[in-house]
Amino acid sequence: MSLPEEAYAVAVAAVPSVGPATLRGLLASDPPSVAWARSRGASGGSVHDVARIWARHTELGISVLLPGRGSWPARLVDDPQAPAVLFCLGDPSALDGAPTVALVGTRAPTRYGIGVAAQLGTDLSGAGVSVVSGLALGIDGAAHEGACGAGASPIGVVAGGLDDPYPRRHARLWERVAENGVIVSESPAGVRTEKWRFPVRNRLLAALSDVVVVVESRHHGGSRHTVDAAVARGIPVGAVPGSIRSATSEGPNALLADGAFPVCSAGDILVALSLEGATVPVPASASTPPRRRRPGPTSGTDLRVYEALTPDPVALDDLARVTGLDVSALCGALERLALAGVALDVGGWWQRV
Amino acid sequence: MLAAVASATLSGAVGRPVSVEVHVSNGLPGFTIVGLPDAAVREARDRVRAAILSSSLPWPMRRITANLAPSGVRKGGAGLDLPIAIGLLVAAGELSPDCTEGLAFCGELGLNGSLRHVPGMIALADATSPLGMVVPLCDVREAALVRGDDVHGAATLGDLTRILRGQSGWPEVPAQSVVPRAPSAPDLSDVRGQAVGRRALEVAAAGRHHLLMIGPPGSGKTMLAERLAGLLPPLPPADALTVTRIHSAAGCALPDGALLDRPPFRAPHHQASVVSLVGGGSWSLRPGEVSLATHGILFLDELGEFPVAALEALRQPLEEGAIRVSRAGGTVTFPAAFLLVAAMNPCPCGEGVYEGACTCTPASRARYRRRISAPLLDRFDLVVPLSRPDPDELLARTPGEPSAAVAARVAAARARATARVAPGPGSRPELAPDAEALLASKLRSGDLSARGLHKVSRVARTVADLAGEGVVSFAHVSEALSLRAGRAAVVV
Repeated sequence: MSLPEEAYAVAVAAVPSVGPATLRGLLASDPPSVAWARSRGASGGSVHDVARIWARHTELGISVLLPGRGSWPARLVDDPQAPAVLFCLGDPSALDGAPTVALVGTRAPTRYGIGVAAQLGTDLSGAGVSVVSGLALGIDGAAHEGACGAGASPIGVVAGGLDDPYPRRHARLWERVAENGVIVSESPAGVRTEKWRFPVRNRLLAALSDVVVVVESRHHGGSRHTVDAAVARGIPVGAVPGSIRSATSEGPNALLADGAFPVCSAGDILVALSLEGATVPVPASASTPPRRRRPGPTSGTDLRVYEALTPDPVALDDLARVTGLDVSALCGALERLALAGVALDVGGWWQRV
Repeated sequence: MLAAVASATLSGAVGRPVSVEVHVSNGLPGFTIVGLPDAAVREARDRVRAAILSSSLPWPMRRITANLAPSGVRKGGAGLDLPIAIGLLVAAGELSPDCTEGLAFCGELGLNGSLRHVPGMIALADATSPLGMVVPLCDVREAALVRGDDVHGAATLGDLTRILRGQSGWPEVPAQSVVPRAPSAPDLSDVRGQAVGRRALEVAAAGRHHLLMIGPPGSGKTMLAERLAGLLPPLPPADALTVTRIHSAAGCALPDGALLDRPPFRAPHHQASVVSLVGGGSWSLRPGEVSLATHGILFLDELGEFPVAALEALRQPLEEGAIRVSRAGGTVTFPAAFLLVAAMNPCPCGEGVYEGACTCTPASRARYRRRISAPLLDRFDLVVPLSRPDPDELLARTPGEPSAAVAARVAAARARATARVAPGPGSRPELAPDAEALLASKLRSGDLSARGLHKVSRVARTVADLAGEGVVSFAHVSEALSLRAGRAAVVV
């Protein structure tokens, strides 16, 4: 039975005690088959185990990339901490196909963050830029939701094995990213997603990107790891400015203070990619409706209420205090404004549209 | 020698008649009690013996058997001390059988022969009707609430034997002690700002709509809830008697001989067990918090922290206004027609109302919200998001509108609702055309479910009643919609 070198690499990577750094050491000098033979003492496996693990990966449609071989991504060739083995679900050529931008951020974003991430995802993808993200809840998911099917191939970078969609809630998104682009991981199939793998994953995510953009993040959020890895590699870092009162904008605002470039639209990112000549303007997609002046209220209570509204949600209590109206009259005016399409109810709070 | 004395025991909030039979015969001296007594009744042996000896009455050195009939029903509590003692005195020939004729006895004995308070006297008085009743002197007024003047009291066993022998008359019931009325509910004028919270209380009180307040710590949820009791009208006599009966059966302290005529306010802690909430217990079925809150308010602070089983147990009483507690020994039904008011944080860290301020992980938020099941959430007509009050309003010296003014509007709205012909099930109140159109648009956009439509219509009707208007207008429906907008913060 003759097995490809990739099979032995997978077998070494699948040894439970072997982490990414150890794996790099093992495969640095010797070809995988030799490394496997040397590490047999630790793994205690036979050639049959190698064949079994390899068959499992082929069955799942997971392709395995090794450094120095045909389709190894160019961005990882000179990377100081390049993975020793890369597992891909989907089309590996997507890793080299287009300029790549990482959109990262918190798992508990605000509506603002979700909206911005989705918009940037759609616009960048439409401009032919691959969106790289971690497929996590929150900003990551929103960015890929926006990017899928909008043009360029999305790239997902995950921490665990490719046979186990994580988080479960994103199983559907996971499939769509694999169909449209590629999901990569350093872990062989069967490896559970553990906490310590996320910083390692974030390093790979940064390494695969030409630009890293933080949409929303708390002061000590996981996005810091991605940013640190990007800075270490000289990759430009952008940040989406947010309210100084919003805890989820602490991270990006601090990055802006440290010299990250501000991201107010996909165009800002394209400039950082030096693509502004080629692909700007960003196609006016359906998700950016043309600005038109809506007929607002002209007089009376409704106008008073409309003027008290802001683009950010305001609590009903505050509206009552500012307008001096009683709750009943205030609610009536708000519903009239909502029917006219100029106010929006967000969970009991109201904002101007 | 055999004697039979009438008495009663408490089962849940209802009394059951018990006939106490005492037999004194030759044999080895001893005293046994049969007929499913609980521990308190079995201990009656020692109390009865000591009380009889302390009262300078002779103790028969013979074989004594007390039977509590019907023997299939469990008997609990110390209220059977007195009938056992009286039965024993009759059987031993100390009292003539005629003098206990037509009388029922209930009371606990002290070792010195004094008669002590027994909980649930109203229910016991019901059960012993139409016999005359002899109770401890301190319980006469409570029993008289349902029995009128055929209730007699005595202070000690010695006094009682003298009265039964005809050597003296029944003592005067001591004049009602002037107890300071229980402090009334705190006043709404203490609340600054909180226009929406105040309005939600008013609507909840006027229409008996269950209310859920969602807000960060310090937004005044508890403060508002405590003031709701002051907005409800006093209880009508029939309801007051039900409330007093339940509280009496649960052994709660009652105002001396007076009915509880204010709606009760019960606020069990979130570590409350299921049994303490809905009632139960292995032997004596005790009413739970939901029953003690009947015709009043059940306030569940930190709703998300209550055990899920306890919350789900609330669904039957919310639906039926009563709770059936079933045990191996039998089933009792307690009234449980309460107004449910609950408060919760939007997420474990409490800051979730403010966009971007929440520090919870998505998983912990989801877990927190799952604790409130959709069927339970559906019971709340009003789900109100609250925010922290504005500092200027908080520091303002001008007091808010006092409870009395709001209570007057509530009473007027209730009167209007009662005067209207009661709507049939499923029928909706009359709506102005634009109000109808607003609901239609909400239904079409999926913002409102069929059940939601019904609830919003009912709340809007209450809002119109508060405004004194016959037809539900656009503003009324808008307000009803706003007063349940907090659902968006809880429904995942």
